[in-house]
Amino acid sequence: MIEFINASKTYPNGVKGLKNVNLTIDQGEFVAVIGLSGAGKSTLIRTVNRMHDVTGGQVIVDGVDVMTLKGKSLRKFRRKIGMIFQSFNLISRSTVIRNVLASNVPDLPWYRVLLGLYKKEQEMDALAALDKVGILEKAYTRCDQLSGGQQQRVALARTLNQKPSIILADEPVASLDPIMADVVMSDFKRINEELKITIILNIHHVDLALKYATRVIGIRSGEIVYDGPSSEVTKEILNEVYSGKEIPELAKG
Amino acid sequence: MDKLTLFDHVFKPKVITLENGHQVLKKRSRKPLILLVLLVVMWVSFVVTGFDLDLIIKRGGQFFVILRKIFNPDFSYYKKVVNPLLDTVKMSLLGTILGCLTAFPVAILASSNINRNRIILVTIRFILSVIRSVPTLIIASIFALIFGLGTFAGMVSIAIFTLGIVSKMLFESIEVIDMGPFEAMISYGCNQFRAFWAACLPQILPTYLAQCLYCFEINIRAAAILGYVGAGGIGILISERIGWRDYNGLGTVLLSLFMLVLCIDQLSGYLRSKLS
Amino acid sequence: MEHILNMYNKRPNTKWIKLLVTAIIISLVIYSASGVTYKGIAAKGSDVAFGIMYGLTHPDVSIIFNFTKEGVPYLLAQTAAIAVLGTIFGAVLAIPFSFLCSKKIVGKYVAFVFQAIVLLIRTIPSVVWALVWIRVTGPGPFCGVVTQSICSIGMISKMFVTAIDDIDTGILESLDACGCTTFQKIRYGILPQLSSSFISTTIYRFDINLKDATVLGIVGAGGIGAVLQQSISSRRWTIVGAFLLSLIVAVLVIEYFSTRIRKKLARGQ
Repeated sequence: MIEFINASKTYPNGVKGLKNVNLTIDQGEFVAVIGLSGAGKSTLIRTVNRMHDVTGGQVIVDGVDVMTLKGKSLRKFRRKIGMIFQSFNLISRSTVIRNVLASNVPDLPWYRVLLGLYKKEQEMDALAALDKVGILEKAYTRCDQLSGGQQQRVALARTLNQKPSIILADEPVASLDPIMADVVMSDFKRINEELKITIILNIHHVDLALKYATRVIGIRSGEIVYDGPSSEVTKEILNEVYSGKEIPELAKG
Repeated sequence: MDKLTLFDHVFKPKVITLENGHQVLKKRSRKPLILLVLLVVMWVSFVVTGFDLDLIIKRGGQFFVILRKIFNPDFSYYKKVVNPLLDTVKMSLLGTILGCLTAFPVAILASSNINRNRIILVTIRFILSVIRSVPTLIIASIFALIFGLGTFAGMVSIAIFTLGIVSKMLFESIEVIDMGPFEAMISYGCNQFRAFWAACLPQILPTYLAQCLYCFEINIRAAAILGYVGAGGIGILISERIGWRDYNGLGTVLLSLFMLVLCIDQLSGYLRSKLS
Repeated sequence: MEHILNMYNKRPNTKWIKLLVTAIIISLVIYSASGVTYKGIAAKGSDVAFGIMYGLTHPDVSIIFNFTKEGVPYLLAQTAAIAVLGTIFGAVLAIPFSFLCSKKIVGKYVAFVFQAIVLLIRTIPSVVWALVWIRVTGPGPFCGVVTQSICSIGMISKMFVTAIDDIDTGILESLDACGCTTFQKIRYGILPQLSSSFISTTIYRFDINLKDATVLGIVGAGGIGAVLQQSISSRRWTIVGAFLLSLIVAVLVIEYFSTRIRKKLARGQ
């Protein structure tokens, strides 16, 4: 369970990322965060695993106040939270399997890290993770030979290999074409349903958010303006989230 | 309109007025000034170096006499060349390896995207440029005094020279790598070192190895002359042959050096093409 | 599960290649270590090390501001003068060489011969060239100038050839269409394309030649190198310190300006 209690975030340059956010997300939910660029979507997601710090209030994940964590305990805490990025953040020169295996690095003994050696069980687990996202046959090809959609699925497999209870996805489909975006979103959905992993993602494609997510959070200049089931999102609500601006048809992807 | 510099204030730009009254400023060309400065510098250089074209015309033929002897190598001298030549290879190989190994951590500390400490960063970069600005032969002659004459002094000076070059090339390539994977590793709970090792190393390793090979090519050439100041290798033979005016022997030495350099360049070029 | 195991068994086996490469590297290290023997620090070796440290921290300031022929400024200027003339003559000599090396202009066979000559010039270290030229011109700065003029040909013409091979020949066609003569085509079609990269290469070579001129001094070809080498072997550390520090400063300053000028040329100003 993730709880935001009066969480706020002010950047060093004075910009307010979050203002008094109160939020509870239960285990197994599929949450899409929507809002304009710069509204605080990324900040909201990145405070969960403390890639960003909150400057006021609390963020509590599974009963732990994340701001109390540091050093080793923070790294241990991060291990159960997966993260997906807009630009995939894969090591493009390495093979797919080595990218997936990289999520084992925090737990390996130091000499295995230095030499880049993984156990057979780990390699099998990594292959199983690739199988779950449907690109097992690409396991031994180099990442830079894959398409954008395939690369995002490698990133997803890397996160699954971590066996997380929460997956945070920061604009996971923003660099993909509409068809690939749909495929990747359905992967998220399947993983959410099969493995009961909480998924929080922020997304610009409102139609994809409404299609796959069970819950939508609308955010506008650091404040939550809508929080409810995706089935109840109306045009008026979207207008409010997007500061009263009509969404041009094209922007919906 | 570009900013006017001091030059433009001294030599005012020409104003061109078109028929419709629009005006354009045409800056005076700097070429005459540059040419003038260059001519003065050249004239001073002629005086300072005691340039003497007559000497070349009169004695230039002598050079070709020597050259003809060099191109007529004394092959019986070959046996004496092999060992010093191998010494040169050995000391440059070991020096390159040592230098490249030390260059790796140094380059990481000198990359602004990994090391956020400005003071350490600037200090290391400054030391590296100082190392690069001292000629290898000077470094070698100092080490020959410290470690005694022989290949060890040569190896140390090559290692230091390598450190200077490879660190610079390496930190320049570390600074342009994609830091995204590093961020991902941090988000999975790695510490900084593990994240660097797992996410950045695969990106820089091929470049690093190519740079090491490239540096080895340079080092073979550099090592060949270190013997002149007593730092071991084939350089001793070169200065000895010239001292005795045995240009046929010199030819043998130079020919074998040429063949060696050619082979190593080919091999290293092949390996480098494999790496990219 | 089975198809996962199948995939696992199909993994590329790089273990042997890695082991082989490691074995080669280790045996190379052991082999080369056989030629390099550590005989301990030479008698008074530590004195030398401390002497250098002392000299660098207590340089003889009087010699830095000594404007006679024995002082640092004159010797540095002489070194720079060798590099200036060596670079300019080298660049001028490199122009015919680079055209003769370009397959585009003279054809395969002539290009091959001249490429071999350039390779020969590049491979033989400049010190060797200097030692040979000393026999002709006698020791002194003039020998340095002659040596550098020859040695610079190698690298400069290699870079020039690349620039020549990159020439856009479309412009020549358009000049042809305007009715230009051959001379006009070279003057307005080729030179403007080459000049900035020629100048850039020449400045870069000047950087290298400045350092190289010091080295040539060691073998007797004038400039700061000879005096520096003499003071090292006679262990006058404060003088060594003064020479080394001023040399480092001079090289760094010139490197800074040459990088700036070359960046400007590359951006096209």
